[in-house]
Amino acid sequence: MALPQKLVQEFDRLVQRYPDKKAGLIPALHRCQEELGGWISPAIMEDLAAYFGLEPVEVYGVASFYPMFRLRPVGQHFVSVCHNISCELRGATEILEHVCKITGAKPYGTSPDGRFTVWPVECQGACANAPMIDLDGVFHEDLTTAKVDALLGGLKR
Amino acid sequence: MKPFPTWLLDRTKLADSHTLATYKKAGGYQALEKVLKQPLAPADVIQELKVSELRGRGGAGFPTGMKWSFMPDPAKDPRPRYLAINADESEPGTCKDRVLMERDPHGLIEGALIACYAIRAQAAYIYVRGEYRLSYQRCQAALDEARAAGLLGKNILGTDFSCEVHMHKGAGAYICGEETGLMESLEGKRGHPRPKPPFPAMFGLWGQPTTVNNVETIFNVPFIVARGGAWHAGIGTKGSKGNFLCGISGHVNKPGVYELPFGVTARAIVDEVAGGVWKGRQCKAWFPGGSSCSLVRGEDLDVVLDHDSLKTKGSSLGTAAMVIIDDHTSIARVMEIIARFYDHESCGQCSQCREGTQWLAQIFHRIATGHGQPDDLATLESLAQGMAPGKTICALSDAAAIPTLSAVRLFRDELAACIREQRDPIPYPRVEYAGAH
Amino acid sequence: MVKITVNGRQVEADPKQPLIAACHGSGVEVPNYCYHPGLTPVGSCRICQVEVQQGTAPGRVMVACRTYPAEGMVVNTESAKAHDTRRECLEFLLKNHPLDCPICDKAGECDLQDYTYDEGQAAGRTHEPRRELEKRHSLGDVIVLDQERCILCSRCVRFFEEVPKKAQLTIADLGSRSVVATFGDRPLTGNYQGNIADLCPVGALTLKKFRFQARVWNLVKQASTCPECSRGCSIQVEVLRGGEVKRFRPRENRAVNGWWMCDTGRFAFAHVNAPNRLAHALVRGDAGLVPVPIEEGQAALRALLAERRGALFVLSPFCTVEEGRALQALAQRHGATAVFVSPGPNGLKDDLLHTGDPAPNRRGLSELGLAAATSAELATRMGAAPLVVLAGERVAELVGRERLAALPTGVALAVLDCEVPTARACVVALGVPTWVERSGTYVNVDGQRGPLSAVKPAPAGVRALLRHVADLEQAPLGARS
Repeated sequence: MALPQKLVQEFDRLVQRYPDKKAGLIPALHRCQEELGGWISPAIMEDLAAYFGLEPVEVYGVASFYPMFRLRPVGQHFVSVCHNISCELRGATEILEHVCKITGAKPYGTSPDGRFTVWPVECQGACANAPMIDLDGVFHEDLTTAKVDALLGGLKR
Repeated sequence: MKPFPTWLLDRTKLADSHTLATYKKAGGYQALEKVLKQPLAPADVIQELKVSELRGRGGAGFPTGMKWSFMPDPAKDPRPRYLAINADESEPGTCKDRVLMERDPHGLIEGALIACYAIRAQAAYIYVRGEYRLSYQRCQAALDEARAAGLLGKNILGTDFSCEVHMHKGAGAYICGEETGLMESLEGKRGHPRPKPPFPAMFGLWGQPTTVNNVETIFNVPFIVARGGAWHAGIGTKGSKGNFLCGISGHVNKPGVYELPFGVTARAIVDEVAGGVWKGRQCKAWFPGGSSCSLVRGEDLDVVLDHDSLKTKGSSLGTAAMVIIDDHTSIARVMEIIARFYDHESCGQCSQCREGTQWLAQIFHRIATGHGQPDDLATLESLAQGMAPGKTICALSDAAAIPTLSAVRLFRDELAACIREQRDPIPYPRVEYAGAH
Repeated sequence: MVKITVNGRQVEADPKQPLIAACHGSGVEVPNYCYHPGLTPVGSCRICQVEVQQGTAPGRVMVACRTYPAEGMVVNTESAKAHDTRRECLEFLLKNHPLDCPICDKAGECDLQDYTYDEGQAAGRTHEPRRELEKRHSLGDVIVLDQERCILCSRCVRFFEEVPKKAQLTIADLGSRSVVATFGDRPLTGNYQGNIADLCPVGALTLKKFRFQARVWNLVKQASTCPECSRGCSIQVEVLRGGEVKRFRPRENRAVNGWWMCDTGRFAFAHVNAPNRLAHALVRGDAGLVPVPIEEGQAALRALLAERRGALFVLSPFCTVEEGRALQALAQRHGATAVFVSPGPNGLKDDLLHTGDPAPNRRGLSELGLAAATSAELATRMGAAPLVVLAGERVAELVGRERLAALPTGVALAVLDCEVPTARACVVALGVPTWVERSGTYVNVDGQRGPLSAVKPAPAGVRALLRHVADLEQAPLGARS
């Protein structure tokens, strides 16, 4: 495998921001996850290691530290559900239960049809509009089970 | 509550508040112009911040002017210098910096430029938590607008002041909100906090002098420069000056982010600003400023929400993110969640924190699910004392220990009942799942 | 240098070295896991906490590895606060640590055991199940990783980054899920893997070749010098109850090898544990080489030396300086020439320790005035000599067994070696000790002198080379001249 040219060019511009190009690693991991299938595969880690002049094991150490980087394949839609205190106080457990029911995925799991991965997460900074989910990178706040139905129901097909 | 002057959130109420056009119409970038054209010397700007008595708004409350003055004299230390803006906002209950970044990014940028001028930094990095995608987009768009308008980059406003401001993304680790963890992460590494000393002003990003400031702190800078430090110091209480963004969440009718002056009591905030405790209930307990401070009893809401007053209740202001817990809520369940959070977020370097945060989480989990052991409360206290104060590289260990000790101190009977009865008598919904892997 | 006080005694300390180095240097033990003098200090394990007081400020407990001595600092490593803080730290480490001591190789030399014994608490309080991780994870040919035992000191990770300067390990994940890992299932590579088993304070990283081989308290240990190349790393030889050498480990020597040794030397058991030893004197009779009493073998060699002037002495480069000097004198007295066989580079040279020169005492023998001769040069010279005396361990192997087999009739071959000779030209053979069975001096490539010290007795029919030479110089008591 090799990084697509488009991403390499993007990274070449990105690393200009820093006196040490290694600082571009985490933004680059984000871009790879966004563009190359939703997860950071070993091949991606090797390619990034080559780009940044690192050993693959170093990239692995970095990627595995950060909860936003998925090191296993995920479903087509990624649903993060905050289960920290402000959301819990406003019904996050019911929301999580409902999300799991609608999607067919277990918490930290992917639904059997591969459509959804559901991931309980720590405080997302939506505390004043709790409870919330992040669906494919977009916050949805002030949730009720009805709103969850509306958001996720249509994506099942 | 008496009416009070506001400035922090005023522009966020305008249409298209995130654009340069709106910002300029509202008087934006005039403070920067004053600094560059009058001009003010960098030392003068620092002095103004000192006079203002602005304290950091990221949770530690360190005086901003003093922090800026720690940067070495460039004549003696000519190394490149940086400002790092901590937009990693991950303290549970905290969602205020997000409001500023999404709705008033130019305010942050102008503050960053003035701060860079004052500390003589050539570049600033805004480290935004990875989940705040809209904040990142809005800030990046604002940077693009500023550059096009000659407000960013080389020779700003035609002066010989050049400064770059870059966005940078985090990836979901709370510990990267710790200033040295942030710097490690920005450099492309695991977010492991560094032992201090050396402090960032001597050894920061890439080993160079660096100042790390919270978003809201920097956001205050243009106002202080425009109106003078004395103006700022004339608002608030002794030891806590100016207005602050107070988040309030949990069991209130109107959760939100509100601009308030220091001097109002927590009760006034709950009842007059946030519509009171919901469902006609009473407040059983509350966090004043995120989860890393001591819980306070509901009966003690009459305390002024500022740095010094909260100390008298054995707590602290933190990020001023109030979390209100009603009297139908299980403290065991609350602490199960809080302890689990620190277990999830510990970077794992220090023995006490790595093992201790897991241990606390396991104990609270057992108590909350009816499997408490008779020695659990004594063990919780003992472990928390082993984890703090100041025994670890950074304060996450303390942050886990502090609420633990307060919960055992204030709600001992309730927790003991859970253990004695081998169940949590206060019902709450549960979904069983093990942690992420 | 600054003057500080440690446990009431004044100590001179280098302000550029961590406080823990000053403590250790003045004989004060401070426990440590993540700290190692050969690696960058990180201050993460927190076990090295001591009480430090400066000026008028009250004493504070601080980690000694990230605190630097300052003039007037007062350090108390044994205060109640320091003990308590370390005791707490140990309890945290033992919470998840598996109760593996009965089956763990590290028992008896384990820093977790030792520090817990010193100042840990007798009983743990945890009710929680210990974490379950990989327990026998092969990291290649050399190392086995037990993730459950790991206390995450990161020494192994830092070693590969800082010493051979190529990262091979990382800490993956974070917090209580942290584990030491390679990338995927890539094995470790390189000639320095064994060092991480030394570095590991617990039994998380163990050597496959040492696994379950011996209890360390049954090992007899002696300081010595590795002979596998001309670096002459300072090492420790460890023998199980006078029998097999079970382990080689590096000794600290900042002038030679720092704290490290290469795997070539670390696992060079073949010669020292070889079963096929020349453990008696042999003399050629009609039926071939037959064992005889040592004195008879020596007499045969003495006679050869007297009869055949112009002999060629070929010394092994494994001869010590003392052996070289004695053999040189013996050769001179008998009108013989003495050289040492010079093996060519073995291709193992690297940027770190291994010199690629398999001759441990090349410089020591050269400094005596002995000339080096390659195996090819020796082939000609040996064929022209009336008597060839090969002396020293591995000499036959280095000269070349085929070359010895091809010696023309007329050349008498005398062999003083560790392995049984096979050449037809060999008329007398005397057994000599290996380098773990004798004492002496090597001089390494940079002129550093390294001692050999006998750590186990040689087999009964073997005599030290120096002793053979001394015996050859004089007729034994009662012999007819």
